[in-house]
Amino acid sequence: MIKVENLNKSFDGVQVLKDISVTYEQGKCNMIIGASGSGKTVLLKNLIGLMEADSGEIIYGDRSLSQMNDNEKRQLRQNIGILFQGSALFDFATVIENVMFPMEFFTDWSPAQRKERAHYCLEKVNVIGSDDKYPNELSGGMQKRVGIARAIALNPKYLFCDEPNSGLDPYTSILIDRLISDLTKEFNMTTVVNTHDMNSILEIGDKIGFIHKGSMLWQGDKKTILQPDCQELKDFVCANTLARNIIEGK
Amino acid sequence: MIKKSIESVGQYLLFLKKVFRKPEKFRIFFRQFINESDKLIISSVLLVGVISLFIGGVLVIQTASNLENPVIDKMYIGYMVRESLILEFCSTMIALILAGKMGSNISSEIGSMRITEQIDAMEMMGVNSAGFLVLPKIVATTLLSPLLMFLSLVLGLIGGYLVVETTQIIPTASYITGIKAFYNGFYVFYSCFKMSLFCFMISSISAFNGYYAKGGSLGVGRSSTKAIVVTSILILLADLIVTQLMLY
Repeated sequence: MIKVENLNKSFDGVQVLKDISVTYEQGKCNMIIGASGSGKTVLLKNLIGLMEADSGEIIYGDRSLSQMNDNEKRQLRQNIGILFQGSALFDFATVIENVMFPMEFFTDWSPAQRKERAHYCLEKVNVIGSDDKYPNELSGGMQKRVGIARAIALNPKYLFCDEPNSGLDPYTSILIDRLISDLTKEFNMTTVVNTHDMNSILEIGDKIGFIHKGSMLWQGDKKTILQPDCQELKDFVCANTLARNIIEGK
Repeated sequence: MIKKSIESVGQYLLFLKKVFRKPEKFRIFFRQFINESDKLIISSVLLVGVISLFIGGVLVIQTASNLENPVIDKMYIGYMVRESLILEFCSTMIALILAGKMGSNISSEIGSMRITEQIDAMEMMGVNSAGFLVLPKIVATTLLSPLLMFLSLVLGLIGGYLVVETTQIIPTASYITGIKAFYNGFYVFYSCFKMSLFCFMISSISAFNGYYAKGGSLGVGRSSTKAIVVTSILILLADLIVTQLMLY
């Protein structure tokens, strides 16, 4: 579980996150949603420690991120898997080397054990027979899958996904969403997904937090989001034709 | 401008502190060191070799054309070519050429990794990205660059020999006597030291510029250009200081 308490962040006097408080639960897909520029990515970067908040707390389990020393942060990071928007696969490494990369650093496994684990992760994301390909030889969807395989390589407790569907066709998007959801349940991870894709939200949103201009205006799930009780959320949701039709009962 | 420069120096020193942390696993560091040695040093052999061969030949012709006084022994032409190669060409000029080749390679590689979030991904895994990516480059270039200096010296002298032999601008025996005359081993050490220092500057400054690249592919281009310009100027400045300290 991750608890965020009264988080504030500003850049050059402009407040980007305003008093954000939210809890991300274990075994669930927790979604951060909102329009572009609403502060979703800043919140995600604060959660994973790539940015430091001006005030407020981020608590992993029972430890506050701000009170951890470098060594504790390093250990925490080994329990975190991240899927970046552009997959962020290492150009210098093949598919199998990308997945084995964190294992090389943080385990004492033999090369055979690392390879076995990497194959297990790649099978989980349905990437088979592409071990020796380089990232630039893969499609966008394949890259995302390999990114997920690398993220789960060390069996993390926390999985963060930044816009996992960006640049993907609707069919591949759904497959990636289901994969994230299935892995979350199977490995009982605390998964946080940053997205503005309504299809994803309706597909896998176990818990949803809507951010508007830096404030967390609404929290609910994929059922309650279709009965929005705040105008900003209604405007956001109704930008999607399918969701608008459901809300308007068409 | 001054404030920005001081900030950059501070940021560079902090970056070096991060780079020189103890590697997580020496096995991985050693593998990276071998890769970088191949990518940065071995791949420069051809360029350095070709340039040195031609410059050696040109130096012989230029020196001979400036020393036509019959009082001066022709062997001094060989001697002056050797000293020019050892003292300045094989270290400083080769380093300036490498600043373009290795500097742009390092800066654009690391800059691309920065803008495609690959460095963020490493950091998030708990890997010291600066140590993993930059330390092997710095160690490889600093330790192995004197080999390029020796290669340049040998090929420069061979280039001179080929010109002497084919044009008979001076007698071959005089050239051979000249390149063996008044040998001072300290000059070779001085040249090796300069080469190592310059290559340390090339790899660390280029990596620093790439590591903090911003603004997409344009930003990567800007960081590469900046790395080459800054490194070239600093090499010339360092050349002046080191020469004053070591030779005078």
